[in-house]
Amino acid sequence: MRSDPSDYEMVVPGSLHAIVALLANQPGQWLPIAGGTDVMVQYAAGKLAARKLVSIWNLPELRRTEVMDGEIRLGAGCTYADLRRHETVELEFPLVHRAAGWTGGIANQNRGTIGGNIVNASPAADSLPALLAYDAELILVSVRGERRVPYAHFHTGYKKTLLAPDELVRAICLPRRFSEYFSYARKVGARNAQAISKVCIAALGRLADGVIQDVRIGLGSVAPVPLRLMETERAMQRKTIDSDLLLLAKKVAIAEIRPIDDIRSTANYRAAVAGNLVAEFLDRLSSSSAGSGEVKEVLSRWNHSSVEEAAAAILPSCGSKAWAQGMVARRPFPDEAALLRASDETWRNLTLSNWMEAFNSHPRIGESRPVPSSSTQPSLSQSVEWSAEEQHDVADAGADFERLLADANREYERRFNRIFIVCATGKSAPEILQILRDRLKNDEETELQEAAEEQRQITQVRLRKWLKG
Amino acid sequence: MSESREERGKVDISFTVNGERKTVHAQAMERLLDVLRRHLELTGAKEGCGEGECGSCSVLMDGILVNSCLVPVLQAQGANIVTIEGLATEETLHVVQEAFLEYGGAQCGICTPGMILAAVHLLDKKRQPTREEISEGLSGNLCRCTGYSQIVEAVAEAARRRTMA
Repeated sequence: MRSDPSDYEMVVPGSLHAIVALLANQPGQWLPIAGGTDVMVQYAAGKLAARKLVSIWNLPELRRTEVMDGEIRLGAGCTYADLRRHETVELEFPLVHRAAGWTGGIANQNRGTIGGNIVNASPAADSLPALLAYDAELILVSVRGERRVPYAHFHTGYKKTLLAPDELVRAICLPRRFSEYFSYARKVGARNAQAISKVCIAALGRLADGVIQDVRIGLGSVAPVPLRLMETERAMQRKTIDSDLLLLAKKVAIAEIRPIDDIRSTANYRAAVAGNLVAEFLDRLSSSSAGSGEVKEVLSRWNHSSVEEAAAAILPSCGSKAWAQGMVARRPFPDEAALLRASDETWRNLTLSNWMEAFNSHPRIGESRPVPSSSTQPSLSQSVEWSAEEQHDVADAGADFERLLADANREYERRFNRIFIVCATGKSAPEILQILRDRLKNDEETELQEAAEEQRQITQVRLRKWLKG
Repeated sequence: MSESREERGKVDISFTVNGERKTVHAQAMERLLDVLRRHLELTGAKEGCGEGECGSCSVLMDGILVNSCLVPVLQAQGANIVTIEGLATEETLHVVQEAFLEYGGAQCGICTPGMILAAVHLLDKKRQPTREEISEGLSGNLCRCTGYSQIVEAVAEAARRRTMA
């Protein structure tokens, strides 16, 4: 049964001060509504018990984010879209960043707020396990003043919280001490956008010499509240990750959760998935540390080197100076994934002449030196070496093929007025010739975009090689 | 004289729709979707699920994509709203509309207004989205006819044309 709007009252006081005064005057009478992504759904279904609503949408006091030395404070009224584009959140709190990206579709991310998600208190909410893993604290505000509570204590039972009838969540505080941790998040649901999770996990871990120093695991949809797996974490402390430990972790985790049967899934399925997710996290944690020692070292040295040195070191991965400067300006990067993401974004936002500079830093496919017109760069030798590796399969293809390729190259250069760019890694000589011939059929604009995409891939491959030292 | 149920709690709410200043006399909790369709007779935005899952009621509010079924109209006070009716000028279609026509991005048409506004919103944020970014940008909009690939093609084409223009 649809609700009748005439049964409801709504006010927009416009300031935090006026809102908490209203809540204090008639405690429990007024329901705060931000972006409406939960409240309006209940309303549409005729299930909204509150008849008086107070709008807190887009309130400046609630939408501010403060980055301080020891912590970041996210205003409770920040939308998922706000969180997704916040640089510090992306770099230091990847679990929050990722959860924001898979909460609802774009329209719901534009309106749904992190504070709303917390207060709505659904055990299935995607962003809440991340807050548990990061040891979040909440600042609650009322006319009586502010108080700070650990988020882990906030949910007291199914849809029950510590929030007093006259209180509002003002901010979420995340300590800035997890940027070196390995992070792992996964949502298991019917589909990615919109669908509510059957089980979701957000976990952090740190190893030293293969031994677990710290793990922090938050799970959604496995208990009446978003759950931190304290017992499982304790059982993992100071252990080395091997197949026995994975089995133990599964067992302890399954014993620790309290899943139910509901329309989305069954308790049995949820327990099996939760156990597997915890095991997968530990497995990834162990391999993350095994292969990434050098990556960390190269990246951390680069993060701290001078602007000139850093630009010179990263330039051979792409060839465009504007790209190199853009990357240097976006330091520090916590890990390889953040670096690769930033590279794609920086590359896409360059001008045509920046792109041309990168294209011209490559040798013709089938040759070994860059096209003569390009400027001589100090880092040229690295780029030449990489080009040789990338074009390895082409170099061995034989004289006939070389001639065909040279012809096609010349035709391409006549037609598009630049050299042919292809990400040659893993491609055979005949494949490349075929690609070149196909691309000769492209119009100007399509071909420019394809060349840029190939260069993007080349840069990704080279960045990975560079990080391995 | 007692106030009729119809009139109870009604207030004047003003906002801009497709560049024109409008004032409606409505209850605060009426949904923006209903106000657009019934009060202003802008029936481009459709009601699909009525709970923010399908995107067929999408409009732009102060430059961001929203599900108008989830916006109480009082929250639109002072806002700048763009609906599908506001995209084309008298003579010319919006580049995204044109690309949808050419690439078969519209079939039954129910999802189309929301889909196009989601695409416009995406292209405002990203000049040259990747295929993945296009899929993600449209992930809140459901279509039962096209199988989506024509829609993704249309958005990619619109992005190309915009960069060339």
